Amino acid sequence: MSKHKKIDKPELKDGKGKPIMELKVYSAFKSYFDDMAYSVSAVNHTGPFDILPRHHNFMTLIKSGEIKVTAPSGDQSIVVNQGLMHVKADRVVVFLDT
Amino acid sequence: MRRPQEIQQDVDTMATMVNLTSVFESLASMRISQIKKKVEQSEKFFGELWNIYSQIRLDQTFRFGRGDQTKAEKEQLKILITADGGFSGDIDQRLIRLALEDYNKDKHDIIIVGHHGAVQLAQQGIDFKKYYKLPKQDEGINVEPITRDARGYNEVMAYYQSYKSLSVQNVKKMNIGRALADKGQASLEQIMNDEVINEETHIFEPNTNEVIERIEYFMTTIIISQIILESKLAQYASRFKAMTAAHERADESLADFKMMFNRSKRAIKDTRLKEIVIGMRKVKSAREAKKKAAML
Repeated sequence: MSKHKKIDKPELKDGKGKPIMELKVYSAFKSYFDDMAYSVSAVNHTGPFDILPRHHNFMTLIKSGEIKVTAPSGDQSIVVNQGLMHVKADRVVVFLDT
Repeated sequence: MRRPQEIQQDVDTMATMVNLTSVFESLASMRISQIKKKVEQSEKFFGELWNIYSQIRLDQTFRFGRGDQTKAEKEQLKILITADGGFSGDIDQRLIRLALEDYNKDKHDIIIVGHHGAVQLAQQGIDFKKYYKLPKQDEGINVEPITRDARGYNEVMAYYQSYKSLSVQNVKKMNIGRALADKGQASLEQIMNDEVINEETHIFEPNTNEVIERIEYFMTTIIISQIILESKLAQYASRFKAMTAAHERADESLADFKMMFNRSKRAIKDTRLKEIVIGMRKVKSAREAKKKAAML
């Protein structure tokens, strides 16, 4: 069994029954995305990675490149310089430097 | 007395001036509300970051993102945010006086932002480590070079123009490390019930220390950006004040010119009227003289 904490709260789903999560991508002075999403992909020091609903609590530094968001409202690509991602209980927050 | 056509030109010029000052006044007021909104937005970002930071960090020493191992180069860095142009009154002089009160060149380094302040320091023979231009835009200000410089010091003091109200702007000094902790304390209540973030509850990549360093770096960047924005806010407020005064003066001058124009027109009418009356009297007296001559 993993030592990392499992998510206690019930799974979030969209109208079609697809799992979703809350996603916020923003910097101190600008908000890039703040809505429900199916997945978010970025690059950290180990390489590209994806976050899906029900992911373990996770905190990582994001390298410069693209953040790709797949969401019910439409897909989005955000070019970033440096960032920090925090995943906790189906809520993903990406802090960007610009 | 000047002719009405000449005065009309002055009236037109002054009316343009009134419109211009009114536009500048509105622009300054618009910028003020935009900057206020930006600062509010950055407060939310800061609060959420601090929330995470205080759940990870065990000791409260703020290292400006340089990590536990690296030692600071010097005791204190003074960051002075001044205006870029020369139309800032005496506020920059007051700011520099405040910064130099306890200045010791062996212990302190100075980074100056804004051309006006750099000139004043040079005139006083004070060396500064770096000079940056005050960013013209209010969005996307890149303070990364200053944040990188701040990493090398135990203490970072910022001196800036602070906005109190549209009519009052002061100079302030701020210990950035202490200000960050104070700001964070405000959001501590909501953290009390939240769980601790550590390697037991979270996966960290690449590791906890590097994450802490990045958060400290982000927070330093935010606070420096906020200080620059507040300085700009104070400068816009000061410009707003100047524009309001100029608008009032232009309005008064326009009223004076209009009165002068009307007086000049009336004076010409009066002169013509006088000429007509004199002319009529002359004609009348000539007629009477003719009549008298005929009767004789």
